[in-house]
Amino acid sequence: MANSLTRFWGQGSLQKHVVQTGLRGFSSQQNPEVEEEEEFRVLSLRTVKQQFQKRREVKKDPVTPPRSNRMAVDQDWTAAWPGPRSFHPASVPLPLRQGFTERGAAAPSKFANAELMKIPNFLHLTPPAIRQQCEALKKFCTPWPKGLETEAKWQRHFPVEVITTDYLQALPTIRNPEARRVTVSLKLSDLKFDAHARDKFLRLVGDRYDKDTDILTFVTDRCPLRKQNYDYALYLLTACYHESFVTEPWEATKSEADMEVYLFGRNKSKLSAEEILNWNAAEGAPKVEPSPSYGQSVEQLINEGENEYNLTKYKEEVKKMLNIASQ
Amino acid sequence: MKMIRNRLAVQLQRHVLQMSMSTNAAAAAAPAEGAAISEFRTAVTNPGEHSALQVAKFYTIPAEQKKQIFAGGGLPKQYEQQIKTFTEACLMVRNPALEVLEYIKKADLSKPVVRYLLYGENGTGKTLTMAHVLHYGALNDFLLVHVPWAPNWMKRPKEASNAAGQEGMIDLPFDAAAWLVHFKGQNSKLLQRLELKTSKEYVWSKRESTPAGSTLLELVEHGIARIKYASETTAALISELKLLSTAGKCKVMVAIDGYNAFFHPVTRIFSDNKQRVTPDKITLTHPFLNITRYDWTNGVCILSVDKIAMTEGHMDSYMPRYLLGTEGFEHLDPFVPIHVENYSDKEFHSYISYYLDRHWINKTPQGFEEQLKFMSNKNPYALMQLVRAL
Amino acid sequence: MSFLTRIVGKSTSFSGIRLMSVYPQHYVEPIVQKDKQIEQKDELTKLHHIPIKAALNKSSDTVFHDDTKEKLLNYITKKGNSALARTLLSKAFELIKRTQTERLNLAKGDKDKVITNAEVLLKQAVENCRPLLQVTAIKRGGVTYQVPVPITTKRSYFLAMKWLLEAAREKERKVSLPEKLAWEILDAAHGQGRVVKRKDDLHRQCEANRAYAHYRWS
Repeated sequence: MANSLTRFWGQGSLQKHVVQTGLRGFSSQQNPEVEEEEEFRVLSLRTVKQQFQKRREVKKDPVTPPRSNRMAVDQDWTAAWPGPRSFHPASVPLPLRQGFTERGAAAPSKFANAELMKIPNFLHLTPPAIRQQCEALKKFCTPWPKGLETEAKWQRHFPVEVITTDYLQALPTIRNPEARRVTVSLKLSDLKFDAHARDKFLRLVGDRYDKDTDILTFVTDRCPLRKQNYDYALYLLTACYHESFVTEPWEATKSEADMEVYLFGRNKSKLSAEEILNWNAAEGAPKVEPSPSYGQSVEQLINEGENEYNLTKYKEEVKKMLNIASQ
Repeated sequence: MKMIRNRLAVQLQRHVLQMSMSTNAAAAAAPAEGAAISEFRTAVTNPGEHSALQVAKFYTIPAEQKKQIFAGGGLPKQYEQQIKTFTEACLMVRNPALEVLEYIKKADLSKPVVRYLLYGENGTGKTLTMAHVLHYGALNDFLLVHVPWAPNWMKRPKEASNAAGQEGMIDLPFDAAAWLVHFKGQNSKLLQRLELKTSKEYVWSKRESTPAGSTLLELVEHGIARIKYASETTAALISELKLLSTAGKCKVMVAIDGYNAFFHPVTRIFSDNKQRVTPDKITLTHPFLNITRYDWTNGVCILSVDKIAMTEGHMDSYMPRYLLGTEGFEHLDPFVPIHVENYSDKEFHSYISYYLDRHWINKTPQGFEEQLKFMSNKNPYALMQLVRAL
Repeated sequence: MSFLTRIVGKSTSFSGIRLMSVYPQHYVEPIVQKDKQIEQKDELTKLHHIPIKAALNKSSDTVFHDDTKEKLLNYITKKGNSALARTLLSKAFELIKRTQTERLNLAKGDKDKVITNAEVLLKQAVENCRPLLQVTAIKRGGVTYQVPVPITTKRSYFLAMKWLLEAAREKERKVSLPEKLAWEILDAAHGQGRVVKRKDDLHRQCEANRAYAHYRWS
């Protein structure tokens, strides 16, 4: 207030009156001073230095040297940095540098460095800190079950993996709609199928099966509660599994054109090969079957598509079957 | 002016001399007729005696044998031209042919017929491989059932008419008769010697019939004379051949070039209702499909599948199953696929030597062989095209 | 004849220097052919500090390249379709070679006389067809005279090839160009045929009109 007042004094007399009235309006403290001045008005054409009031010096505390200077080399770091906190240069006794400079110059040091403060740090999660916390938590834990020491073991005993997520959030409600989502996954090789059932199962689950990793995944979120979704996922798995073993009567009418893969056993190739092998065989003599490797080579040729490798293999098998002299 | 002329003439002569010297130098290895045989030739003219020793060497087919076997086709047109230009019918002994020959020589003829299928890129020599094997067959008392280029029937038949007996079938009388002529030309000597008889009576019409016990030659001649019945005669002839060879009275070699044409989705022949017919609607297809089945003995089948036997849109791959289609593959399976590849380095060099010997390549600057090798990728047909203007 | 020689002597004095060339005169021609480079290795070392012209776009060192052939190709080409021209010419060459090779293989003895190299034959044909003079119409005193004038070497080659091609194009519709061209080249190479006759006719006309020769300059 005092400052503003002096500034007003410096200006022309025209405005003074207005200022005075204005001052009167809201500041009764100043009244005696004003009245004092009215007693003897000195004409001052120039501003005189004495009229200025000395600006009050802002007292600054002396900058203390950074705490890190005083830190012992073998101090307990978990005490110095106990929890998550954004970076503080004086507390971290590391010569860190971060940020962009012109070419050739050193990166800015850690003091007053916003770059370092912006990025998340994990200084509270040092191995000793974690070890300490684990030690503290240990008394609440049960021992690790026997027989599940390795990953292979626990995967054998618990093939189904269930993933749910809990959310902590700053909302009026503690419920997050995403929390109800349940993901159930397992390896398909853990389920036992025959050829038909496997084919049907894969058709039933559609793109929930990943061929590359052999993992089947159900994600359920249609029910409001997590429990319901979990039950539903397990129900889906069970239902699909058992349904895949059901053979419908119309499946018997599947013709060659409907086949997804070529099967040697149900094609003319097998008949031809059999007839050739049993040419002029005596009545009632045991039937000679074409070798399975020949069947495989035909299947490979047709299912994998033609290439020199498959064709050469087919040729070798044919030569073996027909007893043709090899070169 | 005379002086200038003279100078020019001298220059020219020198040039010509240089050229002829270079060709002579290249052909120096090739001696005059009657002298020691050159490196790229072999004196073994019997394909039965060819072995790995003769690989990449040329053997000459005697003129009268060439006339007997290939008079009605069987060599590519450009190769025929080359034979005429070089005044000798030379074939290179190559691995695929040797492979087939070895199989045939060691084959147990009492077993069902084995089908050998030649396949390979365009212009690698499938037809010539077949020609080599045919030569062997002709010399070893095989009756030749040879179709020089099956797609001709599907793509450019001489005449198409409705078949008399069968509903919805198409006859190719002229082509069938031409094939009978070809058959007769190839086999007349052998047929006369073997005296093969028909097993049953064939009734062509009310008045015409071929009685049981008449010779096959009579049957063939009837077909040639009565073109209308040529297709039926072909069918009869082929079923007779199957019976006779199964009975052990003769050996049969079937060679069909462009065999995949029989399984092509469509032909260029139109039926009465202006629709393209499929190959199985053509009467001529069936006898040749019949003889490539495995249900007879005492014979061999050499077939070839070719990209250019197909039409646009069906020529993506040279692999046998693609070209034969599902149906054709089922018909042939199990067959022995034989890959006819581009020239090996040795074969390529041998061919270049042959061209030089025949004065077909006249420019021999340094590294010309490398250039040709690079440009042609050692593909026989491409090489033939490249050297034609050299 | 002496008259013709005299004029030819003059015609050869036309210098080959192109005044409007991009290259200054001290630039030397490049040698594209590898075998020639190897052949002239010693001479080429002298050229270390002499600038060399860039090789032409069309120049090449393959077996398939020949300068006369390339020139003829340019004349055959219609509407820029040089791919077609190339196939036509190579077909013509093939035919020439077929005829000659067959002749060679059937010949009894004296085989060296038959030339099977189509390029050599083409060169021979072009040489045989080259005119030395041509006539040009010059008007003096209201009368047009056909005056014999000398021609440059380059033009003589051009005329020879042009005539060969014209003769080949003058044919029945059923005969293909390669076929006719092959005949003409073979004929001309042996000093016979219509093109050689055409050249001789021109020469005869020049000889007959020798009296008008002075109209060239007066």
